[in-house]
Amino acid sequence: MSLEDLKEIPYGKTAIELKNISLAFGGVKALTDVSFDVKKGEVFAIIGPNGAGKSSMLNVINGFYKPTSGTINFAGTDRNEMEPELAAKSGIARTFQNIALFKGMSTLDNLMTGRLLKQKQNFLMQALYFGPVAKEEEEHRERVERVIDFLDLQSIRRTPVGSLPYGLQKRVELGRALAMEPEILLLDEPMAGMNVEEKQDMSRFVLTVNNELKTTIVLIEHDMGVVMDISDRIVVLDYGKKIGSGLPKEIRNNKAVIDAYLGVSDD
Amino acid sequence: MIYKETGQYKSSYKSDHAIFPLLQDKIAFSTLMFIAFLIIPFVINSYWEKAILVPFLIFSLAAIGLNILTGYCGQVSLGTGGFMAVGAFSTYKIMTYFPDMNIMIIILISGLITAAVGIIFGLPSLRIKGFYLAVATLASQFFLVWLFNKVPWFYNYSDTGQITVSERTMFGVPVTGAEAPSYATYLFCLVLVVVLSFAAKNLIRSKMGRSWMAIRDMDIAAEIIGVPPLKTKLSAFAISSFYIGVAGALYFAVFLGAIEVTESFDIMTISFPVLFMIIIGGLGSMLGSFLGAAFVVTLPIGLKFLMVDMVGLSAVTAKHFEITIWGLLMIIFLIVEPHGLARLWSIAKEKLRRWPFPY
Repeated sequence: MSLEDLKEIPYGKTAIELKNISLAFGGVKALTDVSFDVKKGEVFAIIGPNGAGKSSMLNVINGFYKPTSGTINFAGTDRNEMEPELAAKSGIARTFQNIALFKGMSTLDNLMTGRLLKQKQNFLMQALYFGPVAKEEEEHRERVERVIDFLDLQSIRRTPVGSLPYGLQKRVELGRALAMEPEILLLDEPMAGMNVEEKQDMSRFVLTVNNELKTTIVLIEHDMGVVMDISDRIVVLDYGKKIGSGLPKEIRNNKAVIDAYLGVSDD
Repeated sequence: MIYKETGQYKSSYKSDHAIFPLLQDKIAFSTLMFIAFLIIPFVINSYWEKAILVPFLIFSLAAIGLNILTGYCGQVSLGTGGFMAVGAFSTYKIMTYFPDMNIMIIILISGLITAAVGIIFGLPSLRIKGFYLAVATLASQFFLVWLFNKVPWFYNYSDTGQITVSERTMFGVPVTGAEAPSYATYLFCLVLVVVLSFAAKNLIRSKMGRSWMAIRDMDIAAEIIGVPPLKTKLSAFAISSFYIGVAGALYFAVFLGAIEVTESFDIMTISFPVLFMIIIGGLGSMLGSFLGAAFVVTLPIGLKFLMVDMVGLSAVTAKHFEITIWGLLMIIFLIVEPHGLARLWSIAKEKLRRWPFPY
């Protein structure tokens, strides 16, 4: 399994398939028998009330949690679990619900870390910093500058990200994931805590990435308006179980989903 | 106005990636190098060599080493003294077995041996962080010093347990031993420090350094973007130990000439002062390593001058006062400027940018 395998899958065909995934922490069942597949090139949303197991699902996909049972079919290969490094190498990037940026580093350096896997020079060459290393650095800087242009981060290039406002930090985190040039982008609540304008910007970025770079996007989001507008397909989790999946309009009319969100009256 | 960066445009990433992108910095650095290489060697005397310049250079190197590990990779270490002792004893043993080997090569090999030892003692860092790791590295300090004290093979079964350097030359001029002229020991250390500093700076501004800082700031996110925590932390331990090992080798071979391990590489004489250097100088700053080393090396001399020569206290009383004042200054310093001298310098630059106009 590698980046090439994922690239070879035609658009519209299954990129990742999760089969009967269960995940338990001791007695707590975070996920029970969840199955769904993500097709290449689509915007796929995972929704559900708080504690439904959405973030756990993303953590399973990029190897941070090892599922108790079930298989992950990634680019045609069945696996019981993923490894974070393997996931990164095969083109999966992600952002976090609570921003996980490198706070002491500048925006530019944060985005440059997204290129680490693609930098091949060994440390002795780096220590000497001549010819090939300098050239490699410039090459990756150029790639990163494209992301900076795309996300309008020029003015904060040299600012340590710890001192940036929340909305910008979210954007820098998206930038770091984009700098990895991923095939699949996992976004954990990219619009949490944003105002309407910031949400519009972020939606625009997500859709542009999807349209122009053809990146597959798996997204967790609570803002139903955004989810219904930008996703191609949706899966709904509640208490770790899948309670619905399908196109946005199907989800909107799904009784189980409405009950989970609004509650069921007793009479 | 003095430190003006407006008008200095960069038209390529190459020029933007330079170590000193600003003209003022380039001039300042060139001047400093000119003085260090072409003026000081001709005016240096034994006092300046033994009391200030050589210890400053050696401790700068140790501070850079510890800064790589603690400042850039976020792994606290109290084992500096132990690792410097590894460098010193490696040098001693290699000198014994290979009497004809060039001193520069001996010192670099000692650095490599220390790097290997550093990797072994860095293994716990994969499981533990922060204070717990500090305690684990403290264990390495005590273990290594105990080892060099108790196993007679390390000091060639000498009766005193001391190790003494033999004379070695570079280009026909002795750089170690009692006969070495001041300018030779100074230049020898200076060349090593300058070359290794550039190497460290280059590592920090390329892939390696970014991996270290990623691990320091957020290890989970680092793993997600494909930074292997094990390899990255151990590489920081290895490279940091290499620098500290070279510093230890110089400390023994060039600076002191003869050492006794429990005295020379004690936690109070090496490990804590080097840690203070990087805290006072600035964690995660190359400039900070030098400023911190300069501060810690010159402060006792300054205080002694003030108290003995100006006020007229006896040398013994002055020594006691010195320790007290040193501790006091440390506390004041950490309260006033927790980010160290490097931060003060960047604030000063900010002011100089506008001076003498308020806006």
